[in-house]
Amino acid sequence: MDLVIEKKQIKDWLAELKKGSTVIDSKKNALPIKQYFFPPQEDLFVFNKKTKKLKSLDYKKEIIIICHYLGQLEAMTQLDEIMEKPNPDFFYWQRREKSVLIGLIDESIDVAPGGDIILEKINSKQYRTLILNDKGKKIIKNKFFKEIDKPEIKNYPAEENPGKKMLLDSELLANAVEWSKDHKIWDELAKKCLGCGICTYVCPLCHCFSIEDRVSLDDNECVRCRQWDACTLPEFAKVAGNHNFHKTIKERYYNWFYHKFVRAYKEYGKAQCVACGNCERHCPAGIKIGDVLKEIIEDYKKHE
Amino acid sequence: MNNLYKPFKVKIAKIEKHSDDVKLFRLEKDDLFKKNKDGLVFEPGQFILVSHFGYGEAPFGIASSSYQDSYIEIVVRRVGTLTKALHQLKQGDEIFMRGPYGHGFPIDFMSGKDVVMVTGGCGIPPIASLIEYIIVNKNKFNRVYLIYGAKTPNDLLMKDNFKRWGKDIKILLTVDKPDKKWKGYKGMVSELIDEIKIDAKDAVAAMCGPGPMMDALEKILRPLGISDRRIFVNMERKMQCGIGKCQHCVTGDKYVCQDGPVFNFDEIDKNWD
Repeated sequence: MDLVIEKKQIKDWLAELKKGSTVIDSKKNALPIKQYFFPPQEDLFVFNKKTKKLKSLDYKKEIIIICHYLGQLEAMTQLDEIMEKPNPDFFYWQRREKSVLIGLIDESIDVAPGGDIILEKINSKQYRTLILNDKGKKIIKNKFFKEIDKPEIKNYPAEENPGKKMLLDSELLANAVEWSKDHKIWDELAKKCLGCGICTYVCPLCHCFSIEDRVSLDDNECVRCRQWDACTLPEFAKVAGNHNFHKTIKERYYNWFYHKFVRAYKEYGKAQCVACGNCERHCPAGIKIGDVLKEIIEDYKKHE
Repeated sequence: MNNLYKPFKVKIAKIEKHSDDVKLFRLEKDDLFKKNKDGLVFEPGQFILVSHFGYGEAPFGIASSSYQDSYIEIVVRRVGTLTKALHQLKQGDEIFMRGPYGHGFPIDFMSGKDVVMVTGGCGIPPIASLIEYIIVNKNKFNRVYLIYGAKTPNDLLMKDNFKRWGKDIKILLTVDKPDKKWKGYKGMVSELIDEIKIDAKDAVAAMCGPGPMMDALEKILRPLGISDRRIFVNMERKMQCGIGKCQHCVTGDKYVCQDGPVFNFDEIDKNWD
């Protein structure tokens, strides 16, 4: 038996959900889903300078997010892990705990990579549900979903993604990127890269941030806020007194790769990349990150 | 869930001027800092994040004794926005802090051995805290040395402690630009070795601060025969979160806030940054 929803009923189901909570369709946004749990800017604390009281802000609102890409769901599983270990990130989990992540996927699924529930296209008229946890179970207990014995199941293969294949051997990737430190490619990329940070903002897994204080004009209130930062930006590792631990764009750009493919591999056993291609699509300098990795791996293999 | 970003209130119980641009702050807490099973409030070498709302938050090494549970002392050089604001505060003012964070010096491994500590200028706080630990536990340590360098005699910090420390450990002071009254050494020089009598096979070294590090390593610690594996370095980096998330403090495959700030020299020697 499969739990199935008719394609034409999905709209009605979402309309029903909208009555009780905020429903966001992530397709319409260039920024990845991380933005709903780890927003580009968020206030963490409010400090009243007169009463000396410190208040931590509350974001425990239920939101439902519709996601159309398996890669984005996979990235969320990884980001959850990053935000959980070794210490849970309070503000991320405040938002994440109550949210429901729905995958609405137009391709056939071998392994469900993440989210709370996935609606998988099985034919031109129907989607079947893959329930991943209790949150997912709860959200489909309604008239729109029906048990159907042996529904028609067609195969909708995923688009070819060479990046995905490369990620399968994350050990090779880690070794190659670590080995490539003195490769000429980093000098070439340093000339190309604008150091704008866009690749990190559109990445579903990048999670660098900085924390700053903002004071009200009347000097009564101070808000401590955090915002996305990017390890490729010039001041990222600069301390007071102006010493900069990552002075050149070459060092910073290499560090970005190093984190994604080496440090992440050592920490979590996999690369912090889901081959979604966002970084390539949005890079204003036209850097093809996939090609960079391919070149490094080829040269590494020759060297070995 | 525990909100690890939320700092708690501390009162500035004492401020001491240590040089033209350096002040020591004693941060007191009403209900005392929590002691661990060994009676320590923190491990020597650990750091805290100090908050002054409106000016931000930054990491500082702890300079006081880890046995002291009513206060923590930090040494602050006036160098950026936050430190300038801290320098304007007065005794009795309240600020915030969180921590302690990271891993300190491996005091259990170090005990029973000869210890050579090397630091320069503003790198003294974590070393000072280690010295306080060693003095309380002096029976557990053999010969202990502190080599402390600075630009000028005025830049040597925590001077009031030298006499007390000097009863239990040997202190060797060195400056780059001596004045007329100066009786110590000039520069991080290899002659300092003549003063140090250790059994290299059973000795460890502790360092802090990038300034004297390479010089001390080449001219003193390695010639003394202390292996890199037994040299422990307290590192400094930009930090925002202190809990291994924000990525600012990274060095190679390590996070200074979580894996450090104290590293075995071997671990970080080959890091590309």
